[in-house]
Amino acid sequence: MSSDLLSIAASGVRAARAALDVSSQNIANAATEGYVRRTIRLSEMAGAGSYGRIGDLSLSGVRVDGLTRNADSFRQAEARRTGSDARRAGVELQAYQNVEAALEQARLYPALTAFEASLQRLTTDPVNPSLRSAVLEDARTLARTFNIAAQGLDTIAAGLQFDATAGTAQVNLLAAQLARVNVQLARTVPGTSDQVALLDQRDTLLKGLSDYVDVSASIAADQSVAVRIGGAAGPQLVSGSTAASLSMTTAADGTLSFALGASPVTLAAGSLAAAAQGLVMVRDSHAQLDSVAAALIAAANTAQGGGVALDGSPGAPLFSGTTAATIGLALASGAGLATAPAGAPAGSRDPANLTALRGALASADITGQTNGLLFDVSSATRGRKLTSEALDAIAGAARLSLDRQAGVDLDEEAINLVRYQQAFQACGKAIQVAADLFDTLLAIR
Amino acid sequence: MTTVSTSAFYDRSNLDMAALRARANNLQAAISSGQRLGAGSDDPVAAARIRTLTRLDSFAEVDTAVAGRASADLMLADQTLSDFTGSLIRVKELAVQAANGILTAGQRAGIATELGQISSELVRLANTRDSAGHALFGGNTAGAAYTLDASGNPVYAGTASASDLPLGDGQTVTRGLTGPEFLNFTGPSGATNLFAVVKTLSDALAGAVPDPAQAARDALGTLDTGLETITTQQTVIGARLNWIDLNIERQVQMSQQRSAEEAAVGGTDLSLTVSQLQQTMTVLEASQASFARLAGLSLFTLLR
Repeated sequence: MSSDLLSIAASGVRAARAALDVSSQNIANAATEGYVRRTIRLSEMAGAGSYGRIGDLSLSGVRVDGLTRNADSFRQAEARRTGSDARRAGVELQAYQNVEAALEQARLYPALTAFEASLQRLTTDPVNPSLRSAVLEDARTLARTFNIAAQGLDTIAAGLQFDATAGTAQVNLLAAQLARVNVQLARTVPGTSDQVALLDQRDTLLKGLSDYVDVSASIAADQSVAVRIGGAAGPQLVSGSTAASLSMTTAADGTLSFALGASPVTLAAGSLAAAAQGLVMVRDSHAQLDSVAAALIAAANTAQGGGVALDGSPGAPLFSGTTAATIGLALASGAGLATAPAGAPAGSRDPANLTALRGALASADITGQTNGLLFDVSSATRGRKLTSEALDAIAGAARLSLDRQAGVDLDEEAINLVRYQQAFQACGKAIQVAADLFDTLLAIR
Repeated sequence: MTTVSTSAFYDRSNLDMAALRARANNLQAAISSGQRLGAGSDDPVAAARIRTLTRLDSFAEVDTAVAGRASADLMLADQTLSDFTGSLIRVKELAVQAANGILTAGQRAGIATELGQISSELVRLANTRDSAGHALFGGNTAGAAYTLDASGNPVYAGTASASDLPLGDGQTVTRGLTGPEFLNFTGPSGATNLFAVVKTLSDALAGAVPDPAQAARDALGTLDTGLETITTQQTVIGARLNWIDLNIERQVQMSQQRSAEEAAVGGTDLSLTVSQLQQTMTVLEASQASFARLAGLSLFTLLR
């Protein structure tokens, strides 16, 4: 077999064109999410010498061997894992900050202080109708503040549940797409642009999945991926062409539990895990708020019962309801406040029972409990903020390291463009040389 | 070979500049609000301390108002006791005149008439109202301190004692005197009260006893005891006013300490924060400038 200058040059032209195509593709996708830089793989075509033709030149040019996708599966897994953690911490921090804002912006503590201060002011003149009205209005504000805080917590819980429902649907959608990509991957030939594009799609889907749940992926020889969630020993979400269905159950107290098919799964990372943890926190804060409200209702109503109102009748309850959501003002007018002790005549200025009411509020430690609730929430939020910042930094570093290795460097592509343009021109020159040689032979007479 | 992909370069620059901008934003918020803490989670311990301090502040405000009220009522009581003293001195003058044996029965009757006027003036004074319109010397009663019985004698209708007003930090002050505390005393002939003494004298001078001059001389000693009782109670009021002043002074000092602590715990240290902001802005401007230069550094602009 002999060499053919024209066909060698032609193969070179084809290879240079293909390389230029790949470079342009890289440049065009420099900012595409999930795009991994490709490089072209070229290999020489040369015939081996055969019997009787040892030492013969048998060169056939170059051929395009395939596309190399510059992805490092370790860095990708690391980016997924750290991203999933950072996402969980971020969403959880958001939930904590919302709870903190709901409790702080309801201005529970100032309302409580104002109520106690107006009770204190009433001691100067317990029969004064305007001071009595002031106490009643401050009590109304306090009850509404509790209502607002409870509503705020309920709204946060509803928002988290809504997000988790949407997230569960999204996980199922991504898992189904991943199963389809697995099927297509099994049918493609390695090194083709078809397979490379599918691999990009596979990794993008995995990254998307890791935003919601903690993903552990294992990649088979045919590049198809098997996905487990809830840790490496967790149940299988995607295996080959089948995707299991993730379901979410909301308990009566608002907390979430997840199951894959029939097997329960505990999520450790991703926004779904964060929603579940956030809802536990909302439930706990709500219970604490309810217990403060119940303590306030019990202390105030018991003290009221121990005295007599302005008209000498026994004191009626000040607050109605039992929880932060249901607490309301039960007294219709300020005259109903039982400031005088039992047995005192109508219109008595004796503040003994008012002192008892203030004492009951102080010994039930309503203010201390409220302060404790606010402190617990804000210090938990503080802790979450530090964790989230640390995990964000780690995830950012992992993403950068993946980008460095898999992303497109425009300078490098510019150099490649020049290099392959020169190669193309050189091959063109070779074709011209071949033509000149042929013309030389024809010109012999 | 370590390559820096274009997207990595943009991502990293974006992260760095976003972090700097967030920091500058926080510092600016601290400066414009004067508060170091935006939310409780910025510093939970300081936030809890500030909540407690704010609570103490609002109670101290009420305490000061209460102290002012108590002080006003006590001063009114003091003034009224001085009026009582004035009336009593006039009664004494009249008793001295009446004790003179040369007066005619008609002249004594005239003195008796004036004593009757003073007697009703004393009842009016005993029923003085305080700044809130309640009986000043009636303890905790809702009505008048003294009512007149069928025969026109004033009878105490108030409660046994006046209640205490809180002055903050567990300190209290008794807000006033009850009528019996300064009007009842023990005379030479047992327990009596000022109204009875004046009425008896007036009746005696009007001719109820055979020797009105002697009755007037007897009354002089009793009146001295009554005057002494009132003066003693005025001293008590003075002591209570001093106690209130002391408490107000303490409140002012405590409030200054609280303000100082609030500023130290939650306030912005302006000079420090401004210099930190300046530093952050310098770094941010430098990184923006270097980003712009690096981003403009493309091989494509050089290759032609």
